[in-house]
Amino acid sequence: MGQCEDSAKISSTRENVVGIIANPASGRDIRRLVAQGGVFTIAEKCSIIARLITALGVTGVTTILMIPDRGGIAERVRRAVATRSSEDQGPKVVFLGMQVEDGPADTVLGAAQMAAAGVRAIVVLGGDGTQRLVAGACGDVPIVPLSTGTNNVFPESREATIAGLAAGLVATGKVPAAEVTVRNKVLRLEIDGAHDDLAVVDISVSKSRWVGSKALWRPEDLDQIFVTFAESDAIGLSSVAGLIRPVSRRAPHGLRVDLASPERAKVTLQCPIAPGLILPVGIEHVEEIHGGEIQTPRLAQGTIALDGERELEYSSRRHVTVRLDGQGPYTIDIDKVMERAAHERLLAID
Amino acid sequence: MDLTRSNLLDAYRIMRLIRVFEERLHLEFATGEIPGFVHLYAGEEAIATGICLLLDERDKITSTHRGHGHCLAKGCDVFGMMAEIYGRKNGLCAGKGGSMHIADLSKGMLGANGIVGGGPPLACGAALAAKRLGKGGVAVSFVGDGGANQGTFLESLNLASIWSLPCVFVVENNGYAEATSSKYAGACHDFADRANGFGMPGVTVDGHDFFAVYETANEAIQRARRGGGPSLVECKVNRYYGHYEGDTQSYRGPNEVEKIRETRDCIHHFATRVTSAALLKQSELDDIDREVAALVEDSVNQAKSAPRPDLTDLLTDVYISY
Repeated sequence: MGQCEDSAKISSTRENVVGIIANPASGRDIRRLVAQGGVFTIAEKCSIIARLITALGVTGVTTILMIPDRGGIAERVRRAVATRSSEDQGPKVVFLGMQVEDGPADTVLGAAQMAAAGVRAIVVLGGDGTQRLVAGACGDVPIVPLSTGTNNVFPESREATIAGLAAGLVATGKVPAAEVTVRNKVLRLEIDGAHDDLAVVDISVSKSRWVGSKALWRPEDLDQIFVTFAESDAIGLSSVAGLIRPVSRRAPHGLRVDLASPERAKVTLQCPIAPGLILPVGIEHVEEIHGGEIQTPRLAQGTIALDGERELEYSSRRHVTVRLDGQGPYTIDIDKVMERAAHERLLAID
Repeated sequence: MDLTRSNLLDAYRIMRLIRVFEERLHLEFATGEIPGFVHLYAGEEAIATGICLLLDERDKITSTHRGHGHCLAKGCDVFGMMAEIYGRKNGLCAGKGGSMHIADLSKGMLGANGIVGGGPPLACGAALAAKRLGKGGVAVSFVGDGGANQGTFLESLNLASIWSLPCVFVVENNGYAEATSSKYAGACHDFADRANGFGMPGVTVDGHDFFAVYETANEAIQRARRGGGPSLVECKVNRYYGHYEGDTQSYRGPNEVEKIRETRDCIHHFATRVTSAALLKQSELDDIDREVAALVEDSVNQAKSAPRPDLTDLLTDVYISY
């Protein structure tokens, strides 16, 4: 039988501990109505977690920390662990002893508690929004971002088995973290001089007065987009920047794109704003932004979207600024880890 | 999301009207004067309001046990509703339906329903009629999380999908089907997930947030009007009272409702946001509060003094002769 415990019983042998954070709510927003966003069911997320647990176990990870939830993930994982066969000596799964709010706060608190517990890596299942929440709370713990959301630029679409092997090889020290992790840029949002939040891919300024259903999909609502990086094959708002002036994840700078209606724009591009939704976006001006520079939105009032989701309604009474920061979360380079695994026969059976 | 000042005032007025109406019924039911059961909608006002504001005279809705909010948001007469709930002759259904069977076909309100999951098949019929009429009408089926576990609901999703009906299924997931947690009773976390299996889009939205409901419903309704077919909108929400009046709610956590009232109240959040954005003045909201309080007071007084149906009414309005 497998073991499933709560966090009061975490052992002191922390080098083999990995966290898994899975957002039960990702992939269910309005983009299923206005675009053609797919659905990641709880069953599919649990299947991914099962593959992760198996792979982490193979690398020698002995304990996995998870967040309790009311979304059905914790319940299914507990059931799966409890019904393991007697031959299955998989890792112990430990649920953090935290109050569940059934919202984004759970992800933030869970990531912070995992970091405090000394996990060596956190695998994060979600879209850009979920990755953003973890990035703001995980400190220097490297993350493995896996895509289960709608517009996914920061997380990779990877087979969980391979992601689990990579995370496990780093967590168990078989591959030195310093050699296979990279530090990412973030955009920091400040309101009235105080740090308020961050984004891992983009901060957008919208004319919309209301946060509403959160997702942004109407180009006519957009006024500016700030990006940490912009890939030409990206989906979502950063695709606007990626199609006019790509910026790599490793470049020291980011980009600010000022938008205009297609009638007034210098260039109008067809941009993949959401899955199945390719719309004309007018671009007026593009400018590199560098670390430390303070950027102020042009609009006196509107909403601020972090990684594609409207989060803040602001008026002219609030002073909003955006700043690029190179000191974002560390991520594990799965390709590099697996290359090392092959080169050094790290998965060889003794 | 285009919302004029007039829209915002209407939204506040309807939400406040539902709240005051329900809180008054909470008090009045305890006096024993109201026959039958009542199931109060307080706490869920943003859903009915955010959706029904987008509907017009072409559109039909079907409701649940908890139907007062849907009725008021769809424009049913407050006096007729209160009289109906009191079982009076001048009620919307001549005092014979009561809270759980309240209906006003002239307003497109096809009825609260004593059958859990009874509304979705009716909405499919209304949507089929709307499709045949070709005037862009839609049907909205409100259903609870308990109703969403009924076969009627799933059959209706299927029917709506294969016939591409202009129907929007709104699951008001308030966490409990009577006393049973939806986490226990539903083999899914989000009822929106079920839409995928029937080939229609499913969206989960915060049912406490008028703006989120309105924006999402607008897309679903416009899609249906354009001939895009059905969709499912799940609104996660909480109710402030028991399943029915008199429910001791022993299945709820200590201070659960108090905490929700303090932190998630849809009317409070709406008022704060529209006044912070300087779109409405607090004095305008205060005027609406006074107007609504007087309206509900009048409706209760009139209902109490209205005559009940008499014996000669026993078999009228009950069966239709074709």
